[in-house]
Amino acid sequence: MWPLPLRLIHWISAALVIAALGLGTYMVWFVDDPAARFDLTQTHKSIGVTVLAFTMLRLCLRIRTTAPEAEPIAPLTQLAAKAAHLGLYVLLVLLPVSGWLMASTTPVRIPTRVFGLFDLPYPLGPDLPVFRFFHAVHVVAAILLAGLVALHVAAALVHAFCWRDRTLRRMGVG
Amino acid sequence: MCMRTGYRLAAALIFALMSGGALAAMAAQSWRIDETHTSIGFKLDATGFPTTRGQFRHYTGRIAIDLDRPASSSTSFTVESASVDVGSQSYNDFVKSAALLHVAKFPTLSFASTQVEKLDPRTARVTGNLTMLGVTKPIALTVNVEPDPSAKGPAKGRLAFSATATIRRSDFGMIFGLPLIDDTIEITVKTRALTDE
Repeated sequence: MWPLPLRLIHWISAALVIAALGLGTYMVWFVDDPAARFDLTQTHKSIGVTVLAFTMLRLCLRIRTTAPEAEPIAPLTQLAAKAAHLGLYVLLVLLPVSGWLMASTTPVRIPTRVFGLFDLPYPLGPDLPVFRFFHAVHVVAAILLAGLVALHVAAALVHAFCWRDRTLRRMGVG
Repeated sequence: MCMRTGYRLAAALIFALMSGGALAAMAAQSWRIDETHTSIGFKLDATGFPTTRGQFRHYTGRIAIDLDRPASSSTSFTVESASVDVGSQSYNDFVKSAALLHVAKFPTLSFASTQVEKLDPRTARVTGNLTMLGVTKPIALTVNVEPDPSAKGPAKGRLAFSATATIRRSDFGMIFGLPLIDDTIEITVKTRALTDE
């Protein structure tokens, strides 16, 4: 089984990522009221900052942790799993960072108040072409992360209910 | 100057315009503004963001009518910039910040008419100076007047007014968010005037 801190961060991050993806999609596609959109964007950014913080902590813990013994699965499957996990780590950093830089470079530079507690510093100044670049990165990364999360969940269920191995139990479930 | 929360622009304005004919008999009447049907609002578009429609909740105003010489009529009003309402507390706070209205430094917006011109029996153009963020520029409002179709109660005369104007906020030094947030703001003032005479 993975150590408790990593297991906790995994499930907290999972909830936050699903919330941020869902909220980001909802607020852009379904919210017509500008005040609601403004408030939801602040919430979305707050969740994104939290995801980044947990991911940084998780990476620090992960590199110092020996992984539990893997289940006996085909080498190709193992390689796919490693690639997917690496992709998740990359996107868990890329997505919030690109969002942060979007907020920093947009001409509509609204302070990001993280859960009403503090303002996120902006490392770059307003620049419309740069903003459009980070916006594109953010959207593409969100789509990729949603796809990888779906794959990750499906794979976990296959491990648990088709192959009936201990993979999901290693993350504290079952 | 009337210092209550109210807005008395339209009644005097229209009276100034509607000289002659059936309305001439109203020259000596006193009119008051129906504050429950008065609003000072604005609309602002932005790329990738819903259109913002807001209102100012607190304002004072003054009008002077000369029915014999409508062009001599005048009006002025002052809006409390901190009374802006765009739909939520956090959004209001942002609009009031230094990025946009900067209410801490500029607590009021004001308009004072300089010219009233009748265009047709139901339309007038009111030109005047708008002061916003410490900058004064001339603007023109198109004012439409209609008999109030929902007239009820003791007031014998009721008129409904709708005044609109389009301004460029950059003319007043408000450049935040350009070009993603539009430069043009559409202002709409709606009111009803009543008389019991």
